[in-house]
Amino acid sequence: MKQKAYFTVEDLVVDYGGVRAIDGIRLALDKGEIRGLIGPNGAGKSTFIDAVTGRRLPTAGRVTLGGEDITRLSIIARRDRGLSRSFQRTSIFADMPVLEQVFLASHQARAEHPEEDALAILKELDLEAYADWRAGDLGYGQQRRLDLALALVGSPSVLLLDEPMAGLTVTESRDLAEHLKRLARERRVTVLLVEHDMEIVFGISDRVTVIELGKPLAEGTPDEVRANPKVREAYLGSAA
Amino acid sequence: MLGISIFNGLVYGSLLVICASGLAMIYGLRRVVNFAHGALYMLGAYIGYTLSIYLNFWFALVLAPLAMLVIGMLLDKAVFRPLQDRDPLSVLLVTFGLLLVFEDLVRAVWGRGNLSIDVPELLSSSVELFGNPTPLYRLAVIGLGVGSMVALWAWLRFSRTGLYVRAASTDPLTTAMMGVNTERVNALVVGIGTALAGLAGVAAGPMLSLAPSMGGDVLVDSFVVVVIGGLGSLGGALVSAILLGQVQSFGTIYLPSLSAVLPFLMMIAILIWRPSGLAGNRV
Amino acid sequence: MLHFKYLLWLLAGILLPQIVGSATLMSLLTQAVIYALFALGVGILLRQCGLVSFGHAAFFGSAGYIVALLMRDLEFGAGTAILLTLFALAVVAFLLGLVVSRIPGIAFGMLTLAIGQTVYLSTLQSRELLGGADGLNIAWPGSIFGLDVRLFYDPAGMFVISWVVTLAVIYLLDRLFRTRFGSITSAIRDNEERARFIGLNITLPKALVYSLSAVVSGLAGILSAIYTGFISPETLHWSVSGMALIMTIVGGVRHLWGPVLGAILFFFVKEYVGELTDYWMAMLGAVVILIVVFAPNGVSGLIAPLLERKKRVTKTVVGKQVEAGS
Repeated sequence: MKQKAYFTVEDLVVDYGGVRAIDGIRLALDKGEIRGLIGPNGAGKSTFIDAVTGRRLPTAGRVTLGGEDITRLSIIARRDRGLSRSFQRTSIFADMPVLEQVFLASHQARAEHPEEDALAILKELDLEAYADWRAGDLGYGQQRRLDLALALVGSPSVLLLDEPMAGLTVTESRDLAEHLKRLARERRVTVLLVEHDMEIVFGISDRVTVIELGKPLAEGTPDEVRANPKVREAYLGSAA
Repeated sequence: MLGISIFNGLVYGSLLVICASGLAMIYGLRRVVNFAHGALYMLGAYIGYTLSIYLNFWFALVLAPLAMLVIGMLLDKAVFRPLQDRDPLSVLLVTFGLLLVFEDLVRAVWGRGNLSIDVPELLSSSVELFGNPTPLYRLAVIGLGVGSMVALWAWLRFSRTGLYVRAASTDPLTTAMMGVNTERVNALVVGIGTALAGLAGVAAGPMLSLAPSMGGDVLVDSFVVVVIGGLGSLGGALVSAILLGQVQSFGTIYLPSLSAVLPFLMMIAILIWRPSGLAGNRV
Repeated sequence: MLHFKYLLWLLAGILLPQIVGSATLMSLLTQAVIYALFALGVGILLRQCGLVSFGHAAFFGSAGYIVALLMRDLEFGAGTAILLTLFALAVVAFLLGLVVSRIPGIAFGMLTLAIGQTVYLSTLQSRELLGGADGLNIAWPGSIFGLDVRLFYDPAGMFVISWVVTLAVIYLLDRLFRTRFGSITSAIRDNEERARFIGLNITLPKALVYSLSAVVSGLAGILSAIYTGFISPETLHWSVSGMALIMTIVGGVRHLWGPVLGAILFFFVKEYVGELTDYWMAMLGAVVILIVVFAPNGVSGLIAPLLERKKRVTKTVVGKQVEAGS
């Protein structure tokens, strides 16, 4: 038995509209680990992220970060502890200039040099040319990247990304994957990646967790999961 | 004294429930907070006034709501449907503009003075109630309130359209995908909601005097009823209208200083503790 | 450059009464500027929080009542009474704001309507203290803040005073909304959920804007009470809130001068369309509908691009030039 992991979710249960949307999911992520979370549509991936980030309170279970129980903390308190997320449906400040909102997020995350931080993130995500643009006027792919930028500022320690590649071009997805890898390797950021693009998930994840109908189905290295007959049946089989 | 208070409370409660159920239905299906609803009540009363002069009260009671049904369906087609994807606050502001237009329209056609509808002969006598002579007409208004609520309930429960209305108010998208023409259902519901406002207006005509500003108080009271009852819920509106009628009737006698404010305090309390009550979507 | 523009507008306001010959027009303009300030109060809540209030008459009207009571019953001087009133409004509205600004959209409108009507009806019931339906006459002293009170009663004098106050309020608000506080409130209005996820406290900034908007509306109410020497419960009625909202919507809130323009247009429509037809309210209603549907940024949103076409666009981030960061 190895040491207690940096970011854990223990036996999480979420009831939602009379339905048990999440039923006993457990995860343990080490610092700097990239974990893929996959499952067929309706498996409860977004609900899971919502419950972990405080958007929805779980019915039962525990979420810990760096040994601290954060299950019932407010969204803001979680963010202060370094938990950050992106959204499946792009969630940005449409009426604000790009740089202003990233700066605000960076400042709010108590970055030491919020302005440099904001500019650096825009540069990394290839948005610096649009710094002055009203976010609502950006193209779809750029808005997706801005959503991500808002999650990345202030050096979060845990990133929960809800389908960040959706709507990006192949090159954009590759670049993003590279970027996530660098974050994990160089800055020891823990990444939970919910993504439809299997190639990318298996390509960059250290481990992959599969859930189905809110229940855990399998967990292991990408190769183990790929070879798991249950997974092939429930998910990969139908996708192929 | 006690009996009379309850009775008077029921009379106003009946008017209110007819008017407010229309407001609740329109909210339930269209998600529109209709500030013009009081003006529609007033318009119904004025149309009823004219019909009662050229024909008689009974024709007015039937034809004025029918005219309002048509006006309501036009309102849905011309305003609510084109604006259905807009922010609810914008639509609210548009109905606020409509309120000003309707009020002036009535001023232009019927003048600024107070008018009144004559009590029909059949109901002009009084009956002995709780030892007091009570106008028969007021008794009839309670009957009308009960009758229209029963009719509305039966329509929603047992008719095919009523089923669609209930389905569409719960989940418009799925209902539309099931092949129900939700646009037609919406138009009908806004029409009926408007007709109910008109019906309340005509019924109020012989008791309260007609003035272009008569819609204001009813509008605000209907908001209170609908919010306390849970916006969009007809059963809730029924209970809270009766409650509000009693509070006003008793309050004016026993607690004049508190009674006027009490409904609003209840409304405030409900909005603060249960703002999601506004999202209640049962019709 | 910015200050120069304010000076120009200040000068224009001071000179305007000299060129306006007609007393009716002057009195119209004076009323318009007082209501402009009121509309500005309603407007900043919409602009910074996206909240539509149907109850701001409660602040507009009660400010006059509170000043009157402080002077009559507690024998405060006019200046002290005014400052105390504004302070009291700020505190009360802030506490109220902590509760009500959590309530979203339509429910917020209904809630403010209910609060406004509660204040209106309570005032109507209070015959001994507040004069009930008759309202109160206010005995203003000979001078207020060192200015001869006759200056406040005279339309031209009051116009200049209200104009200066309104300009000062716009200037201060403009400065305030260019700070991080402005960014934070715009972010919350724009996308409350995302704001929470970047770690912003939602309630506090909203309550502060609510308080600010109440103080601005209250200031307008005090000007109105000085000008007329009288305060009536009708100023608390929800239709007065609705009127201020109309001015705000017609003028638009993207620019702070929008509600001011809206109020001036409102009074001009009332006066001049009112001369042509009795049905100016219907016209106004139609204008409101057209603006909400076709020009959501109001008249100011329509004309601002025409005014600003030639200007160089300088974008700033939280008060600093963008280039400064690189």
